[in-house]
Amino acid sequence: MLNLNPQTLKRLRRFREIKRGYYSFLFLAGLLVVLSFGELLVNSRALLVHYEDTLYFPTYSDFRPGTDFGLDYDYEVNYRELQATFDEQGSDNWVLMPPVPYNPLENHAPGGVFKPTSPSIDTRHLLGTDTTSRDILARLFYGTRIALWFSIAFMLAVYAIGITIGCAMGYFGGMFDLIFQRFIEIWSNIPFLYMIIIVFSVIPQTFTIPAKIVILLTVMVLFSWTSMTYYMRTETYKEKSRDYIAAARVIGASNTRIIFRHILPNVLSTLVTFMPFTVVSAITAITALDFLGFGLPAPTPSLGELLKQGTATLRTAPWIVMSAFGTLVILLTIVTFIGEAVRESFDPKKFTTYR
Amino acid sequence: MPSSVSPKSAPILKVTDLKMHFPVKEGILLRANKSNKAVDGISFEIQPGETLGLVGESGCGKSTLGRCIARLYEPTSGSIEFEGNDITKLKGRALMPYRQNIQMIFQDPMESLNSRHTIGDILEEPYIVQKIGDKASRAKRVRELLNIVGLPTRSITRYPFEFSGGQRQRIGIARSIALNPKLVVCDEPVSALDVSIQSQILNLLVDLQKEFNLAYLFIAHDLAVVKHISDRIAIMYLGNIVEESTGESIYHEPRHPYTKSLISAIPIPDPHRRVKREIISGDVPSPINPPSGCRFHPRCPRVMERCKLEAPLLRTVADHQVCCHLDDL
Ligand SMILES: Nc1ncnc2c1ncn2[C@@H]1O[C@H](COP(=O)(O)OP(=O)(O)O)[C@@H](O)[C@H]1O
Ligand code: SF4
Ligand SMILES: [Mg+2]
Repeated sequence: MLNLNPQTLKRLRRFREIKRGYYSFLFLAGLLVVLSFGELLVNSRALLVHYEDTLYFPTYSDFRPGTDFGLDYDYEVNYRELQATFDEQGSDNWVLMPPVPYNPLENHAPGGVFKPTSPSIDTRHLLGTDTTSRDILARLFYGTRIALWFSIAFMLAVYAIGITIGCAMGYFGGMFDLIFQRFIEIWSNIPFLYMIIIVFSVIPQTFTIPAKIVILLTVMVLFSWTSMTYYMRTETYKEKSRDYIAAARVIGASNTRIIFRHILPNVLSTLVTFMPFTVVSAITAITALDFLGFGLPAPTPSLGELLKQGTATLRTAPWIVMSAFGTLVILLTIVTFIGEAVRESFDPKKFTTYR
Repeated sequence: MPSSVSPKSAPILKVTDLKMHFPVKEGILLRANKSNKAVDGISFEIQPGETLGLVGESGCGKSTLGRCIARLYEPTSGSIEFEGNDITKLKGRALMPYRQNIQMIFQDPMESLNSRHTIGDILEEPYIVQKIGDKASRAKRVRELLNIVGLPTRSITRYPFEFSGGQRQRIGIARSIALNPKLVVCDEPVSALDVSIQSQILNLLVDLQKEFNLAYLFIAHDLAVVKHISDRIAIMYLGNIVEESTGESIYHEPRHPYTKSLISAIPIPDPHRRVKREIISGDVPSPINPPSGCRFHPRCPRVMERCKLEAPLLRTVADHQVCCHLDDL
């Protein structure tokens, strides 16, 4: 029903008219798709291996020992070397590598010494390597992917909790409202950075990296949902006292029906305008935490971690900070453009039919 | 209490000493020390198929009274009986059968329709909520309702903002009769409309009353609106009913000083009227700190010493119920 509403249609139409925001949105949507299939573009595994008249697709398959392709080791194949080997042999065998043939975690130091190398087309390190000889483009690529998914997950979780509690406070009022108001006042005064430091000093080092990321996300969400409740609480309270709600109640509509069919759809359209800005602040927050060393656990690729390296090697390897900074600026600008356009086109003050 | 319509039948609605006091939160601690006595001890009855007009200045508690009866509020004290059953404190599921019988029309039709729902959604909702009929039969009923209130069938897929004020109020009226109620609280249903449209809506309400034997509690801030359609009229002042009688009698022989001033304020010259102009001065006092004794005393042209100390009770004078100390009413 929400989609068919002419107000919503009008807003979407207006959003598409704001070219800067609309193209930014298309770009971000495209970026998310590309990032989702990133393993096909930026990967140390080959896209295709043709070996003794059989085709292999290693990208999404299990690891293959070198012996599978006639090599003399049984750990994972180094496909770049395999490609070179096949080329030398001049046989029918060949390897097709992705455009960026590195993964973000490997240290590619042919000389055996970890050091930043400058951008080069010959080595295929298009943006150079970082201080431990990891490909910067690969790290930026996967760092952006994690930052974006992390921020979107953060936003969804914050909104889910904030909407539920804020709406319940505004709707039911009374003791429930009072208790939560006091609780939120106390809760939102707990210093967030200390909590992160404490939590990560307490959890065992044996935790896997995904588990640590989920814990980080949880802590961030737990200390961020409160701001959402202020808006939801007042908006729900305002909607609730309007006559169309009284009309629904007179015909016998239940609280559940009133909340989900009447109040939420009317309140959420404004909430949509906050979403891009929440994503922006989440990207900034996670980058800042990474920069300080309290964010995503190493060796997860991240923009903040690259920035940290980059500021330390500002003179010797300026390409590190330049590419990390450039990526961050582009990302934040794009999401902010979307946010502006959404706010411009969804602003209820512009489209509301009430006084 | 005598009724001009059908004195012997049982009332459909009986309200006894009804009070609705809203807590007033003040100070930094937001303690509710005071209360807004919006409705402060009101009693009346409505017979089946009858219209009781309720008239009073803005802010005197008319809407609050109407909303108590539609059970949007839970009254502070007193009782509301519908067909002999006490519904004053009923909640949730227990209230459902009465929801079908008691409906409400609101003052501002735009405010009372959800702008995100189509007219079809709005008119179908009562049946969905009360679990009446299936999709097809509900759709048929919605078309019937539109027909009854004089709107085209194609309105079903339209949204409230696509209609004029009068048409929106027709939608509000259609929703209020969807469940075949016996009593409809009409809270100033024409006040927000153009004068040219008011009489159309009033006529529609009168027609519906005849067709479906509806009883109305018809709220207005203007005596002229209710005069023609009300069997009886109650005059309200600051949370109390100060006078009640038949429409004709209130209009031509008002007894209470406040009613007299209301009648004399109607500008239309009427050769049969025997009321001299009595303009009252001053503003309506706050229902948070109502005047002592008779609540009308600070503005009453005939105020006596007794009025400031002692609140008058409703008493019968001829065919009127009047709440005043004066002997020569
Ligand atoms: N929900 C409410 N909460 C608190 N006070 C209210 C509420 N509704 C009405 N009031 C107060 O009750 C008094 C009567 O209001 P109302 O019934 O709307 O008057 P009327 O309909 O006659 O203009 C006013 O002083 C108003 O401020
Ligand atoms: S009781 Fe007294 S103050 Fe009140 S209306 Fe009658 S005369 Fe006026
Ligand atoms: Mg009112």
